Amino acid sequence: MKKLPRLFTEDLSRRKFLAGAGMTAAVAAAAGCGGKSHTNPNPTPTPTPTISDADILNFALNLEYLEAEFYLRAATGSGLSSADAGSSAGDVTGGAAISFKTPAIQQYAQEIANHEQEHVRFLRKALGSAAVSRPAIDLTNSFNAAAMAAGIGSSFNPFADENSFLVGAFVFEDVGVTAYHGAAGLLSDKNNLAAAAGILATEAYHAGTIRTLISQLGDPYLTYANKISALRASAGGGAETMLDGSHIVAADSNSISYDRTTDQVLHIVYLSASAGVASKGGFFPNGLNGTIKASAS
Amino acid sequence: MESFESKSTGIEQPQESRSRRSALLFGGAALAGLAMGSRAFAQSSAPTDADILNFVLNLEFLEAQFYTLATTGMTLDQAGMSTKSGSGTAGGMVTVKANPKVAFTTPSLQQFASEVALDEQNHVKFLQTALGASAVGMPDIDLMNSFNALASAAGLGATFDPFANETNFLLGAFIFEDVGVTAYQGAAGLISSKTYLDKAVGIHNVEAYHAAGIRTRIFQAGAMAQSASQAIAATRAKLDGTNTDDVGVGVNGSASTIVDCDSNGMTFARNTTQVLSVVYGGGAAGKGGAFFPSAMNGTVR
Repeated sequence: MKKLPRLFTEDLSRRKFLAGAGMTAAVAAAAGCGGKSHTNPNPTPTPTPTISDADILNFALNLEYLEAEFYLRAATGSGLSSADAGSSAGDVTGGAAISFKTPAIQQYAQEIANHEQEHVRFLRKALGSAAVSRPAIDLTNSFNAAAMAAGIGSSFNPFADENSFLVGAFVFEDVGVTAYHGAAGLLSDKNNLAAAAGILATEAYHAGTIRTLISQLGDPYLTYANKISALRASAGGGAETMLDGSHIVAADSNSISYDRTTDQVLHIVYLSASAGVASKGGFFPNGLNGTIKASAS
Repeated sequence: MESFESKSTGIEQPQESRSRRSALLFGGAALAGLAMGSRAFAQSSAPTDADILNFVLNLEFLEAQFYTLATTGMTLDQAGMSTKSGSGTAGGMVTVKANPKVAFTTPSLQQFASEVALDEQNHVKFLQTALGASAVGMPDIDLMNSFNALASAAGLGATFDPFANETNFLLGAFIFEDVGVTAYQGAAGLISSKTYLDKAVGIHNVEAYHAAGIRTRIFQAGAMAQSASQAIAATRAKLDGTNTDDVGVGVNGSASTIVDCDSNGMTFARNTTQVLSVVYGGGAAGKGGAFFPSAMNGTVR
């Protein structure tokens, strides 16, 4: 059987990550933006970053807020409690309980919702008073804009039915995996690294399940997912593996998962395809909370 | 596999609620200051990065052999891969039934199995390349007596053939995948090179994707397969000494348990000693047993 080539682009991420996180302009310039295909299996070791572990964990917390709101609303109709969202939390637009027809899909949705809520709680507790509150989150216009940008249609409601829900989940899951993969190496505290590795593997389980279920569904959902995959790669950069029956795992030619810089992740969640500074939009209409909120390039 | 038999005494039938409750206790402890990884780092002596990479190379040999045999009927050597050490020492023996190629009836499962086989082969090759002359050769691997002993320990019967049919294949795969995830998570904190850490994290992710694919299909296969996975998970937890940190596939309240994780939504970490105990079926460190009847190769064995 001939395998489709895995979309394998660059791994210049380290320096871009640092650039996004506030390294010097010189480093940012050296890293450039939107570069292509200098695959380096042994990247230069990262210099000591100027960002703290708390900055990284807060960046992750923003993503967990987004995932938790999406899955909790889909599974139960309600989002995070005010205690879990923090003081002066941003508003959440959209999201509704799905009328599940397949008990198993409802159970998957509830399981993932539980995990994302646990991740929010864990990170908030670990960060203590340094934890950022939930930023404003948009689950309506964001999906419509993503659908249009991906060429799926003029609108997309992931809460319309259980199959649409799986496609909506697909938007997030592999991004979370690549974001945590990119972040893991930047954490300086070994205990934080262990916690991040534990969360990251859970996100990979989620992604594996969602990808398995969409591959079983087939079209049109499989096509939608791959259009989203292409959008993620074009909007944010970073590599993707087109989903089909033989490609459940998103990984490179060494069967190692991809990573993304914070800049790349920001471009994706802000649905900002154009190069340059992106500071809000898409799923986060007012931007992320914390120090890592605007892309450098 | 006397070690399994001696361990099997008193193994309880798994209870999902029991696992979750225990997991909650464990997770509660972890919450107090991100202490979760501390067990993994509490090694008696500090292994080098090469020691750790060789440790996981042994596990990748095991996984690659299993999936390659299941999908092609061939061992890695027969499939054209080297199992020699970096210095040229021949690899060990593989014990497996005749004609182990699984008679797949579901094309999508066969495709997935082939994908996983390729991934595991790639992991072996990647680690061999990264380690160069330091790479260990493949240790002796047993894919027959090991499964029988584990089935017996888990209360699933006197024998178990993971190549017999699709459901058995899923359960056989289940045995490895979550162990791989926990092993990489435990190992991540031991790796000092940022480059290797990045690669280890990337492999860790891929093992989790595999585990999810396998576990989702076990969920879909129904109650009997789910129950068997719970028995296996409970046996792994007993073998690693925690009795708690492993959750089989099933339903907990209104949610499925596809992910093998604690109450913080974080996958479990096993240190190398715990991983060895699981894959040796309780056999002593340095002596081996179950899947590695002559122990692993390398310094962490």
